[in-house]
Amino acid sequence: MSDNTNKLFKIALLLIISSAIIVFLVAISNIVKLIIIAALLAYVLDPLASFLESRGMNRTTATISIFLLLIAVVGIAYVLLLPVLSEEISTLKEGFSSEKADLVISRFENFLVSNLSFLGVKELNLLDRMHGITSSIGDWMVTHVLDAASILVSIILIPFIVFFLMKDGRQFKKEFVSIVPNRYFEFSLYLLHKINIQVGNYLRGQVLDATIVGLLATGALWLLGVKYFLIIGVFAGMANIIPYFGPITGATIAVIVSVLQTGDFHLASYVVIAFIIIKLFDDTIILPMVMSKSVHISPLTVLLAIMIGGQLFGILGMLLSIPVAGFIKVIVHESITNYRRYRVV
Amino acid sequence: MINMWENIFKFRQKHADDTDKILLNIPVFKNLNHHDLRAIKRILHQREYRTNEVIFNQGDVGLGMYIIMRGEVEIICNPGRHMLAELQDGDFFGELALLDEAPRSATAVAKKPCVLLCFFKPELLDIINRNPKLGGKILFRLAWTIGERLKSTNEKIRELCFQKKNDE
Repeated sequence: MSDNTNKLFKIALLLIISSAIIVFLVAISNIVKLIIIAALLAYVLDPLASFLESRGMNRTTATISIFLLLIAVVGIAYVLLLPVLSEEISTLKEGFSSEKADLVISRFENFLVSNLSFLGVKELNLLDRMHGITSSIGDWMVTHVLDAASILVSIILIPFIVFFLMKDGRQFKKEFVSIVPNRYFEFSLYLLHKINIQVGNYLRGQVLDATIVGLLATGALWLLGVKYFLIIGVFAGMANIIPYFGPITGATIAVIVSVLQTGDFHLASYVVIAFIIIKLFDDTIILPMVMSKSVHISPLTVLLAIMIGGQLFGILGMLLSIPVAGFIKVIVHESITNYRRYRVV
Repeated sequence: MINMWENIFKFRQKHADDTDKILLNIPVFKNLNHHDLRAIKRILHQREYRTNEVIFNQGDVGLGMYIIMRGEVEIICNPGRHMLAELQDGDFFGELALLDEAPRSATAVAKKPCVLLCFFKPELLDIINRNPKLGGKILFRLAWTIGERLKSTNEKIRELCFQKKNDE
């Protein structure tokens, strides 16, 4: 009886502490977001630092070298891409002003009204709504993506955290493990080892995959002469991180823009073909290479994780939901497998 | 005042020397130079165990080896809690777990208060990845150690067979 009471007390204490931690993390969610992004970046860049170490550099020099390389890449991208990107955003902010686009939307509206009148569809004002949506996307990008204050905070804080996580990550891990009681010490290291292998491979694979898909999409849209090719290409690459929905969303936006740009489906059909080729290339060549050793998550779990992530933290939450789901899956799977041996609770 | 600082540094020096001495006596780290030894010491975990505290249980997932800095450890095999070995300062155990993830083949219990150094597989893999030369040295020494254990086991089996034949 006393054993059961003791067990219940332990479970209650564990639940109270976990709830307090969750409440605290939600209260400081902005800082948590920055730390999570920094930790993921450090995690993705870690193999590069280890590679430089294997070439004879010490950890600090390797980390500094990677930072210098990143500054050079960002600087070049800033000089080359910022004029194109800011022009695209400002034209997007003004909304679509193409006569052809207006014609397509009006035709589409007439089609809907004439065919769906039995459902009570009368005036839709699609044209006004479309102009409203495109200009609000532009406004959103100006206020959120190009918000000077948040960029400044992120530009200073994220690299700062990434630098120290990369340089002293092993020491942090050692310090963390040192506070684990002897009984769970080896198991906690085993869990960290499994998480590092499975989730680490997943994250690095996804980043590499998103970069390749983003570059291919940008290149294809540029060759086809689609407006806002850079924004759509970058978006398609990032959206690719979200399984199932991401690639479809990226392609849908590109198709809508191409229809509005030309007023017919000629360019849109090429865009669809381009995205199908990219998707096939991604599924048959890139993904098997980069994701072979990573954690497997079922489609239903992916769907639920994306919905919960999106509900809690918006787009960032959706992007982070899959690695977090992988992280939880490894912990739950290994804990259940070893439950009897370690009697975790 | 100077004496106090001298004493502090002397203590740290002594502690460092003790660790170096113990590590250099472990076959896996034998013949490592000062620089390599420092790299190894950075990745080792130090743990303290009370008397009768279980270090690991038979059947647990094994992740690496333990080196006894101070204290005594009993290796027990179930069923029957049959004692396989009693280990002391400078001895080591569990090195096979550096190579595979098979469950521990015996239970290790602290017989006296112990200070152990732990060297685990993730750290070994990390060393191989970022310092292949040192990783190669450790793997070579690990293979040598396991080879020695195999020779010793073969010897024991031969002796047992010989004894059995004589008994017959």
